[in-house]
Amino acid sequence: MHETRPAKITSPITTLNGGHIRTIPVALIVGAAGIGAALLLSGFSSKRFLFAYLTSFCFVLSISLGCLFFVTIMHLTRAGWSVTIRRIAEYWAMCSFPLFILFLPVLATVLVGSDTIYSWNVGGWSIHPHDAETTAAKAAAAASTSISDRPPLEQLKYAFLNKWFFTARIVAYFLMWGGMAWFFLKNSLKQDESGDKSLTARMQAFSAPFMILFAVTIVFSSFDLEMSLSALWFSTMFPVYFFAGAFLSGLCVIMLTGFWLQRTGRVTDEITIEHYHDLGKLMQGFIIFWGYIAFSQFMLIWYANIPEETFWYNLRINQPGWMTLSLILLVGHLFIPFFLLMGRGLRRNRQLLTLSAVFILVMHWVDHYWVIMPQMSPETNKYTLGGSGFLIDAACLVGVIALFIALFCLIARNRSLVPLKDPRLGEALNHEVH
Amino acid sequence: MAEENTTDPTQGNSKLVGLLAQFDDPDSLVHACDQARQAGYTKTDAYSPFPVHGIDPALGIKRTVLPFIVLGIALGAVFIGLGMQWYTNGGSIGGVSTDESPLFPGYRFKISGKPYFSLPANIPVTFEVIVLSSAFASFFGMWFLNKLPMLANPLHRISRFKRATNDKFFLMIKNADAKFDRGSTEAQLNEWGAVAVEECRQDLTDIRLPGWLRLVALIGAILLMLPPVAIFRAMGMTNRAPRLHFMPDMDWQDKSKTQTVSPRLVNDEFLFADERAMRAPVDGSVARGQLDADPEMYRGIKRDYTPAVSVTTATGSVRTSLGPNQNQQDVPAAAPPAEDVSMFITTFPDEIEVTEELLARGQQRFNIYCTACHGFSGNGNGLVNQRALALAATGKATWTTAKSLHDPMVKDPEKNPIGRIFDTITNGRATMGPYGDQIPTADRWAIVAYVKALQETGIEPPVVVAEEGGAVAEGTTTEPSKTGDGTKPRP
Repeated sequence: MHETRPAKITSPITTLNGGHIRTIPVALIVGAAGIGAALLLSGFSSKRFLFAYLTSFCFVLSISLGCLFFVTIMHLTRAGWSVTIRRIAEYWAMCSFPLFILFLPVLATVLVGSDTIYSWNVGGWSIHPHDAETTAAKAAAAASTSISDRPPLEQLKYAFLNKWFFTARIVAYFLMWGGMAWFFLKNSLKQDESGDKSLTARMQAFSAPFMILFAVTIVFSSFDLEMSLSALWFSTMFPVYFFAGAFLSGLCVIMLTGFWLQRTGRVTDEITIEHYHDLGKLMQGFIIFWGYIAFSQFMLIWYANIPEETFWYNLRINQPGWMTLSLILLVGHLFIPFFLLMGRGLRRNRQLLTLSAVFILVMHWVDHYWVIMPQMSPETNKYTLGGSGFLIDAACLVGVIALFIALFCLIARNRSLVPLKDPRLGEALNHEVH
Repeated sequence: MAEENTTDPTQGNSKLVGLLAQFDDPDSLVHACDQARQAGYTKTDAYSPFPVHGIDPALGIKRTVLPFIVLGIALGAVFIGLGMQWYTNGGSIGGVSTDESPLFPGYRFKISGKPYFSLPANIPVTFEVIVLSSAFASFFGMWFLNKLPMLANPLHRISRFKRATNDKFFLMIKNADAKFDRGSTEAQLNEWGAVAVEECRQDLTDIRLPGWLRLVALIGAILLMLPPVAIFRAMGMTNRAPRLHFMPDMDWQDKSKTQTVSPRLVNDEFLFADERAMRAPVDGSVARGQLDADPEMYRGIKRDYTPAVSVTTATGSVRTSLGPNQNQQDVPAAAPPAEDVSMFITTFPDEIEVTEELLARGQQRFNIYCTACHGFSGNGNGLVNQRALALAATGKATWTTAKSLHDPMVKDPEKNPIGRIFDTITNGRATMGPYGDQIPTADRWAIVAYVKALQETGIEPPVVVAEEGGAVAEGTTTEPSKTGDGTKPRP
């Protein structure tokens, strides 16, 4: 029988309830151990380790950005249904700012003028050394301190891809992401105490310019972090591709966090199967969106068949190992989750949703691996997944995820995991999917 | 039923459809629905101004099967979308292509050098077909499941029902329900909190169209036939009026066609100084796949051959030597001056594998291109040769006899290696013209293979004859000597 629930928090435990005090040390130890193990396994090869590290870093950063997008779009659309899961997203979004610390090792390689990760940092990067003449030209361009000694293309791109402007952009991105996440979290927490409805209006008013800011930062950060690994390549579709995966994985993490909190007896009453059902629908939508964007990017390049663009896909297709990974991505990131989440019954089953969310997250990591790793040695184009190479990536991933969880616990602390006095709380508590 | 139809004389000729109960708030409606379900009613329906939470389970309504209909049709659309493109693009199975179909053939368009059927190019269209058919399936599937369109609904004859879109809530229990009973059902509805219970009756008055309307419909239908008839009539007639141009910029495009004069500028000068519309390729450009870099495959010359200085011109002009040499009819074919025979390859190039198919192909090409002069057996006595000799005998023409391929000089692998035979076909030799532009490279090698095979058969040329211009019939029936100009074959 239908009853309207009063807009009141009824769960006995709505905070981490001291759980963070136990979790943070464990997570920090696991994080240090994982990253240390990766460093050891890679034999202190800075290139191999840093590429694995960058893959895991981009993975967690995109999750954090996906959650930031979730918070912003929910305010922008005045969503009522999502109020009880919004706080989780706010905490994860806030993690994006301290993630800057985790980016420092990568940034350091750029600042010392090394091309370990970003090849554009050293002159002659656009020359492929296939014979004595080109090898000499590359060495000459690398040795020269004058920019005018570089090939014309490199001189043009130098205006954007140089270490100081790159560093400035990276700092700006993290400041803007941190500022937006902090604004939403601060006002949301303030409302927990005062119940002031004007705070909701204030967050909604700011969500529109923030959305534009988010779009600009995610476009250029995806250019800088991932696309500039292959600085000759260009695809204006790439930021959309990055964003599609980011929001999708953000939804998965919000859902998994909710399941974990409820399994451990927290916020048991506020998040219902209706919320998970809607998250599942969004997930399926963004699986299709990801596939749509990934395919559009591929098909336009495939059809035009211009060497300046096709070489990027060539790296990922003409080597049996990378080709297998490309197919795994197609089937695992698109077809399998598409059918896993199809149908009301499947989207209202907690076990299946957990399975789908974990599976999508794994595939999302494979997605970043597929984008980043082939750029490690594009000349030899060697496939590195499997064997000890896989252990490096896995250890690094575990370590970075543990640090990410530690950040979440640090930010959430003893704060409430649901908004307590949001004016739309009643709507969210009575949310029902038809 | 009959009794119910006549209970109330004011209702006229009508049939009871069911009982409509009115409620004032959604909670009592849901409560009543719940009671009705528990009382065993199944043919029920509820009406409310807005979606009421929990009314579906209260009424015992099962979830719709529509998603499965849509899924089935969407999966079917995958095959329809792909199949349609496969067919129209001239796809093939086991060598049989739809572009050879006598009825509704497909079209083989080469686009961007992609295969005729290539999956990435077909996915957008397939995707659109899936989206379109899913939309239709959900829209018309909903119609079908709800038995729409319903042109008249007896509920709309009840004045209080109009507030179902405004502020009142209704529950209908239908007459068709097994448990329905006019009296007891009404009592139950009142018991469950109905504010008012009313009969819903279907008017059974004759609903056939009036006769005059049929006549109007018939005339209207005939009038509607007129435009298509007029169009068909116009299609079968000639007309002096100029045709309509709906898209003039497509009919008269701002472009130059091949082999035309250069477009002119405003001041009447030619846009291109050489007055041609077509542009020559950039010097040194080579069309894709036309580089022909391998000298063995494309010229029959050894890769490691470096010409001595004295014969540079002879070798350097392998492709073009036919120009000056073409008319030097008296030069012996097998021995052009300053020719270095050692430059030619003596075996077939790596790309050519001599197989039965190659020989069959060579025979076919030989019969098309070579037999006119050299004859089917290669003895140099083809029809052209016979006719030319006949004319030469009368003094009307000069002619040098076509070579017999069985001539010891021609057969000698030292003096006439395989590469040189290829070169002869490609560039011609003595009076023989070049065939390089007409016969593709692989076919020329096939002919070389066939010529070698022909020579190996050791068919001795019949007694040579041609001095006086007569023609000799060979033993082969394929080459009858039909010479209508009076020359007769010799006995």
